[in-house]
Amino acid sequence: MSSHNESILREPLVTGKNITYAKVTDDILLPVENKPNKAWWIGFIVAVCGAMLWVVSVGYTFWTGIGAWGLNKTVGWAWDITDFVWWVGIGHAGTLISAVLLLFRQNWRNSINRSAEAMTIFAVICAATYVVAHMGRPWLAYWIFPLPNQFGSLWVNFNSPLVWDAFAISTYFTVSLVFWYCGLLPDIASVRDRATGLKRKIYSIFSFGWSGSVKTWQRFEIVSLILAGISTPLVLSVHTIVSMDFATSVIPGWHTTIFPPYFVAGAIFSGFAMVQTLLLILRKVLNFENYITMFHIESMNKIIMVTGSIVGVAYLTELFIAWYSGSEYEQYAFANRIAGPYAWAYWAMMTCNVISPQLFWFKKIRTSIPISWILSIVVNIGMWFERFVIIVTSLHRDYLPSSWAMFYPTWTDVGIFVGSIGLFFTLFLLFLRFLPGIAIAEVKLLLKSSSLQQKTKLVQEGAFPDEQVEFFKKSLGKYDSVTEEDIKALDVRN
Amino acid sequence: MDSNKKYWKGLEELNQTPAFIESNKGEFAEPIPVEDVLNEAGLSTRTPRRDFLKALGFGLGAVTLAACNRTPIHKAVPYVIKPEEVTPGIPNFYASSFNGQSVLVRTREGRPISIEANPNAIGLNQGTDAPTVASVLDLYDMSKLQNPQIGGKDVEWAKLDSTVIASLDKAAAAGKQITIVSNTVNSPTTLATIARLATKYPTTSHIQVDAISYGGIIEANRNSFGKAVIPSYHFANAQVVVSVAADFLGSWLAGEEHTQDYIKNRDYKSLKNGKMSRHIQFESGLSMTGSNADVRIAIKPSEEGAVLIALYNEITGQTIAGGTTNAKAQTAIKLAAKELANAKGAAVVVAGSNDINTQALVNAINTQLGAYGAIIDLDNYSKQYQGSDAAFQQFLATAKAGQVGVAFFLNSNPIYDYFNAGDVKAALAKVDFTLSFADRADETASELKAIAPASTFLESWGDASSKEGLFTIVQPTINPVFNTRQVEQSLLVWAGDTTSIYDFVKLNWEANILPGTGKVWKDILQSGFVYKGSSTGSSYSANVDVNSVASAIVNDSKKIAGAVELKLYESTVMRDGRYANNAYLQELPDPVSKVTWDNYAAINPKFAEELGLGENGKVTVEANGQSIDLPVVLQPGQTMGTVSVALGYGRTKVGKAGNEVGKNAFPLASLINGTVQLAAQAKVFKAVGTYELAQTQTHHTIEGRNIIRETTFAKYLKDPNSESGRFADSHKTYDLWNKFEQPGHKWVMAIDLNACTGCGSCIVACNVENNIPVVGRDEVRRRREMHWLRIDRYYTIEENGTKFTKEKEIADIQDFENVTVVHQPMLCQHCEHAPCETVCPVLATVHSSEGLNHMAYNRCFGTRYCANNCPYKVRRFNWFNYWNDSRFDNYLNNEFTQLVLNPDVTTRSRGVMEKCSMCIQRIQGGKLQAKIENRKLKDGDVKMACQAACSANAIIFGDANDPESEVSKALRNERVYYVLEEINVQPNIGYMTKVRNTFEA
Repeated sequence: MSSHNESILREPLVTGKNITYAKVTDDILLPVENKPNKAWWIGFIVAVCGAMLWVVSVGYTFWTGIGAWGLNKTVGWAWDITDFVWWVGIGHAGTLISAVLLLFRQNWRNSINRSAEAMTIFAVICAATYVVAHMGRPWLAYWIFPLPNQFGSLWVNFNSPLVWDAFAISTYFTVSLVFWYCGLLPDIASVRDRATGLKRKIYSIFSFGWSGSVKTWQRFEIVSLILAGISTPLVLSVHTIVSMDFATSVIPGWHTTIFPPYFVAGAIFSGFAMVQTLLLILRKVLNFENYITMFHIESMNKIIMVTGSIVGVAYLTELFIAWYSGSEYEQYAFANRIAGPYAWAYWAMMTCNVISPQLFWFKKIRTSIPISWILSIVVNIGMWFERFVIIVTSLHRDYLPSSWAMFYPTWTDVGIFVGSIGLFFTLFLLFLRFLPGIAIAEVKLLLKSSSLQQKTKLVQEGAFPDEQVEFFKKSLGKYDSVTEEDIKALDVRN
Repeated sequence: MDSNKKYWKGLEELNQTPAFIESNKGEFAEPIPVEDVLNEAGLSTRTPRRDFLKALGFGLGAVTLAACNRTPIHKAVPYVIKPEEVTPGIPNFYASSFNGQSVLVRTREGRPISIEANPNAIGLNQGTDAPTVASVLDLYDMSKLQNPQIGGKDVEWAKLDSTVIASLDKAAAAGKQITIVSNTVNSPTTLATIARLATKYPTTSHIQVDAISYGGIIEANRNSFGKAVIPSYHFANAQVVVSVAADFLGSWLAGEEHTQDYIKNRDYKSLKNGKMSRHIQFESGLSMTGSNADVRIAIKPSEEGAVLIALYNEITGQTIAGGTTNAKAQTAIKLAAKELANAKGAAVVVAGSNDINTQALVNAINTQLGAYGAIIDLDNYSKQYQGSDAAFQQFLATAKAGQVGVAFFLNSNPIYDYFNAGDVKAALAKVDFTLSFADRADETASELKAIAPASTFLESWGDASSKEGLFTIVQPTINPVFNTRQVEQSLLVWAGDTTSIYDFVKLNWEANILPGTGKVWKDILQSGFVYKGSSTGSSYSANVDVNSVASAIVNDSKKIAGAVELKLYESTVMRDGRYANNAYLQELPDPVSKVTWDNYAAINPKFAEELGLGENGKVTVEANGQSIDLPVVLQPGQTMGTVSVALGYGRTKVGKAGNEVGKNAFPLASLINGTVQLAAQAKVFKAVGTYELAQTQTHHTIEGRNIIRETTFAKYLKDPNSESGRFADSHKTYDLWNKFEQPGHKWVMAIDLNACTGCGSCIVACNVENNIPVVGRDEVRRRREMHWLRIDRYYTIEENGTKFTKEKEIADIQDFENVTVVHQPMLCQHCEHAPCETVCPVLATVHSSEGLNHMAYNRCFGTRYCANNCPYKVRRFNWFNYWNDSRFDNYLNNEFTQLVLNPDVTTRSRGVMEKCSMCIQRIQGGKLQAKIENRKLKDGDVKMACQAACSANAIIFGDANDPESEVSKALRNERVYYVLEEINVQPNIGYMTKVRNTFEA
């Protein structure tokens, strides 16, 4: 992109010495071009076991009926839709990183967008499985689409948020997939060019004949921009529509106008947490420390902190509005969340989602890898509870007390949830094995502007004032991928 | 004759030119270039792009056009040779009777599918009780015997007959007794066949004994009036009713008939006239009747007599010793006595006790109140319970002495329902030949030498006389489905009489019943009954020595008085246990506790706390030297220090559905003064383990919400709008939606909360009508019962004059004895702005132009969003294939029992939502009938199944577009409000405020 000298005040996005374009390709393609290591196999086997659990649980549900779950006449959705919203929410970070940050020219996205987008796609796949699995008669799932048919004038109900949902999720999935795949094309071509035999043939098919000519690159840039433009509204619309599944209903605790922004913030919150969970492991196991740096980690933690605070404000607003509404049903619904039979879930949600991200105000915490990793998981636990609280505690005690009931999950409920995590990781690990986990082409763009190597070179050439260099040196202190030697190199002047 | 003419097409053919012969070789005049196309060169030609597109376009177009055909309609072919009077799709109705109530049996294509009250009958003519509606299922019960048995092995009837006759001859020769032990038999035909047997075998005797004995009333009336009968009660004439432990709206005598009468003084019509009766109930356990009382006082079983003595004292001004010392009861008695005395001639006291002295005292009180005649009818007395505990004692003694040669058991199962089964077994061991007429190898029948399985009432000819002067016919509506034979026919065969039972019944009626009525046999088959009694009874005066009776009561009360007292009761649903294999009844929740599929020990929550018990706890109940372990229900309203247990559970040999459901409590009963007593001194202690009961409702109070609106009669008199709090009166509502015209019909419903007693027969009627599956105990525990119609029951707990309905406040309450109850039938409200309709993605639930919320099962793919979004939570989801899944095989998973299904209503597959359809099949049927008769649909042509089963007339259905319809009038009532109308879903079912005739402070 830009070839001008970047300000020294900006922290480097790529660290390490002697980084050349070739080295970037070598580093990133290491897991793709070599036999997987032990860690990958362990992870993969565990994930496949999870995926098998998912197959068994879903198979059992299809075979016997939704009665295999713990649902009842009062609570018609519980873990199924909780898990669905959870996965859809997680997906949002990928789109935000790939689309919104691209439009805002946030270059730091270049090294995390590939994995984040892959995560989006796999998360949406997991979410979509619930859309089908939660149906009483899943073999008729295609009825959700307005297809021409010979049954007479049967059509879908465009009033129903579930129809909106079907469109939103399918659009989202399609656009995300196309965006992700377009981004992959130059990298697949790189793999192709370095491979031989059958592997070369296969990658050659998937590279869609990428030639690397200027025209190709130009079109690539245009397509990326257009797709980013299309995806950006989806970041807002998908979870807005998901939230309308609840907001358009009459159930106290669901019937809330705050839901769309609140759900979108929550989605980004949980999505970034999931990206964090994945990348912290990934960079360690695949030796990507130089590409996914402390700057990335800290930036994502800041986003988690901000969105977490938005979510927290939303929770408090909900409580205030419930009181202010004067509606006894609304008031009861929230009193019941706080102190009813599911209060433990509410307080788990509050602790995980509102209190824990506030720890990121401390720089020590947001630059600590183990704490960041733990908190990222805590956040996703909290976000799961958020959906559980919204769905189950609202339903289990609504208008007529005669119908109030408790929900208890069965092994199938648990199996499908745990299994979907297995399914997700199976797909993710396969992705790491066969496709580059970092966008090679896009990282290369950073080499001549935002890398530590380049900045060091410029510093050594005396391109920046000393006080700025001092500032820069200080900011490097948090990097685990920057050595003392690297910092000392900044003192050298040619 | 062969034709020798030849036809030719042209001269070429005639002349057979070589050119013609050559050209005529091929099929076509010009050769088709098949060879050219199919040769190598032809096949390897490249299809031009345009040709390809043409072919593709044509193919796609052709396929699209072909696909535009609608799905073909397959027409069913009806009977080729149609049986007379059976038209496919049109039900036939036959008059019959069940337990003495005149009913109409609806049959479709030759099979009975439902039972409704005979609207022209005498006595109970609107509505039926739950066992009556459910009884149609018993016809299709697979647990019944399919052949007669001797020693547990199937035999032919001829073999059984010869064995029985040989045994009878042997007994007669030895001079031993032949005894028929039965429950109450009031059928003239049955009695005549028994008499026929007695003519042949003079040592024959007939003993009647009921599982639930009313011997106390019979004996008391023998002493007081010289008439050993149970009177008929006409609560319609009573303005003040005091009941001491009598569940007279439920299981006590003719509960359903009492309901019909009692409600006449309490429903919206009566209130419109400014009249409402007052009902005061003294009892230990919260019965359904107690839940409907205006004032209810919790007393111990041992205090029942003392309360009546105090009441007698208050009314007469006497001071007989032994009055109650219970302060709450004393206050109530003072007020009640004043009320009773003021309403002389329109006041009655009833007592549930089976003690002769207690009932004698009640007779004395009722004489003082002038209740005999208009209210208590001793002339047209009830014949439903004639059993005598003493006679059964006598039989056991005789049998033990070896003097009984043959014993037949007819509708009698003493090994299960007699408190001392060991005694019965010992006696039976001494009888040479024993036989049961039971339709299944039940607890008693399986111990006997032979079983002659009787046909059900739907397969038999017969009759009944539940009241003096009232005779009802029993007509078969189907041929016996198994190799069974009705009891009367068996008795005739054994008496050597070869008359067919049809002839016998007809002759018996023509000789003994019809003379003097001006009716002939055919009239009876049509109308179903004949009444020869009078409309009211004459006045009687009880001759009671009150002092001696009172002192006997005081003495006997001491026998049951204790720190803990047990009260056994007959539940409204399961009765004495004879219907235990009926899955509909097992899943019908108890009107008060909402427990299904079990009996339990009802204990006051505070008392349970003292015993260290909580939800899901278990207790051991010990009385009369017997003990059983039962799960606990924390029952508000239950008197402290008492425990109530329902009878009729714990059957072991009744069939698949009913075996081992609950525990048998009959062994805890005892014999005092010659009558079986259901109250006893007891010990109750915590048992090990936990047990989760299957309850359809687990939250019992309304949390201060206005879904139930109730007022008092005094307030109502001042302002009929009192407490109805209609939202629309004080708020303007706005519509987001276009208004849809409903120019034809608009089906609506009105429900009178003051009339509904909570009995639940509507639920069973709805199940039967709409093929609603029974899901079993485990599924009910998981809160998945399928009932389209439920009755919500809410408690309000009163302490120190304050009423509590909120969970948190109730946690601090010390006294749970004062409780008021309200029953609210809840079903799909057919909202005009139905929240379920907007959220269904596939339009499976839509609104009709007649104001109904439809459910298209075929279109539903089961997202359950509609159920989530239903504020009334009336939608039910088919979690499994309940009607065809062996894990839920309560009754329906066989081809035979599936014959009970109503062919007008489809069964729903797994994964589909369902809910009240407002009996759409009945509405359509009614409309078609009107169309065939070329007239408009009249009000009352279409009745809902629930409405038809309601003896309280609490459910009124009809067309709101007809301003003169019953429902339109009812909905104009000032008491009408709509549940949750403030959320603007515009429900189509109006509820009328609950009015309580309480004492104003």
